[in-house]
Amino acid sequence: MNVFSDIEIDALTEVFNVGAGRAALTLSEIIGEEVMLSVPSLKVLSSAEIFPSVLTGKDGKFATVSQVFSGPFTAEAVLLFTENYALEIVRDMMGSQMSIDDLAEFEQEAMSELGNIILNASLSAMADMFDISLNSSLPSYSISSPQDIADRFVDNGSDDNYVLVLHIDLVLEKHHTEGHLIFLLSSTSLSKLVAHVQQYLSNIL
Amino acid sequence: MSSNVTLGFSTEQVVNSINLGLIVVGEDLGILLWNDWMSRHSGISREQALQQNIVTLFGGQLTPGFLRGLNNVISYGSPSLLSSALHRSPLPLYVAQELSQTPARMHQSITMTPLLSAEGGVRTCLIQISDSSNSVRREKMLISHSDAFKREAITDGLTGIYNRRFFDESYIQAVRHSKRHRSNLSLFMIDIDYFKPYNDHYGHQQGDKTLKLVANALFAQMRRPSDICARYGGEEFIMLLADLSEEQAVNFAQRLCASIADLAIPHATSPTADHLTVSVGVQTWTPDQTSEILPLLNGADEALYRAKSLGRNQVVVKS
Repeated sequence: MNVFSDIEIDALTEVFNVGAGRAALTLSEIIGEEVMLSVPSLKVLSSAEIFPSVLTGKDGKFATVSQVFSGPFTAEAVLLFTENYALEIVRDMMGSQMSIDDLAEFEQEAMSELGNIILNASLSAMADMFDISLNSSLPSYSISSPQDIADRFVDNGSDDNYVLVLHIDLVLEKHHTEGHLIFLLSSTSLSKLVAHVQQYLSNIL
Repeated sequence: MSSNVTLGFSTEQVVNSINLGLIVVGEDLGILLWNDWMSRHSGISREQALQQNIVTLFGGQLTPGFLRGLNNVISYGSPSLLSSALHRSPLPLYVAQELSQTPARMHQSITMTPLLSAEGGVRTCLIQISDSSNSVRREKMLISHSDAFKREAITDGLTGIYNRRFFDESYIQAVRHSKRHRSNLSLFMIDIDYFKPYNDHYGHQQGDKTLKLVANALFAQMRRPSDICARYGGEEFIMLLADLSEEQAVNFAQRLCASIADLAIPHATSPTADHLTVSVGVQTWTPDQTSEILPLLNGADEALYRAKSLGRNQVVVKS
């Protein structure tokens, strides 16, 4: 899907990497260790394409944290980690001796906060760099199967929904974790996002 | 407020009765709302708090995480969470403990959300604080319970040594370890001779006492942390030791027999001796053997059977 030109993809990747940098700083501050977070790649797909491209080959469940935001464009942002990765991250962050099975109660709250930090950092980077103002909902957390997620994206409205898929690399206490940040947008919102990226580029070029 | 008339209560009453801390701060971080819950747990009255800058009010005690959350709401309109798992106690709030004890610092979960003015322009931040001390306490209790359950699940209730479940799990690991490191592995099956006549003659209570004595005596023969001794069935015990030669394994089995004989537990109805004895079947797997390692259990069991049919009170090696 060539909604963005190459240079626009680069610009948007840069915006999200600024967000990732902010989130990494916040996470380091909480756990008192260096955290590295980056967004190495980004692509736009139609919502029906999400299943083969992001969710295949993983039979396990995903931990997801999502926030809906609105402003010049509206989207649902969903952070996806495989459930096992998510538990490892939380355990690293809590620095606890607890076994993975024992984490149930705190896990949800801590994962919600982790998602909130990454999502807020991405949104604040967009707000600053595009000079816009966004409002968002509180994060909600759930454990979902790949099929649940695919259904959610496809059902959520009409055929002309798009997903912006960001690959996320998180390095935390020697653990290297990969996840995805997915923005679900309508075609109208996507065109507005494209316009903001173009505006941003025309300001700096 | 018009709802006073129709509903019979005011929003203010709700704000002050709710079991949550509520604070609203403006864009300049001045405090605009401070409910009774906050006064109770911070020791700062509403009069002292209102119009104060929240950072000044807490005199530099606010954590970076709290300030970051506040900034996210005020500057970007993004709600923020501070989980009790990652922050424990961001604000200096206290809960009363038992009488006479000093109040303890409260574990908190904090949610911050932006409130937009009706005109849409001015942003204020609503801070909700809930006391998560109870869930923290419950979590700790669950963990200690689960540790206790885990211990119980692998322990034999009567003798206090490991049970068969633990043995079965460890056996698989020990076999894997021996194959990988090409090291010997010896399995000992130990059975108390004529235990049923013993129980019939001395009674079950005495039988249980004797099982404990035997378990302790076998357990005391172990030398290395990797050695395993478990109760395998009624009067049957099992031991697994690594890195013994076949000859050392036989010597060890002889020592097991001797350690039980040394207990000198009278056994009036035993045809083999006037005291309690055991039969032991042993098999050692060595890496140069071509045979598979897995029949070790069967081999030791066969050897034990032979020891019994040969008259008990002896060691038989599976050849």
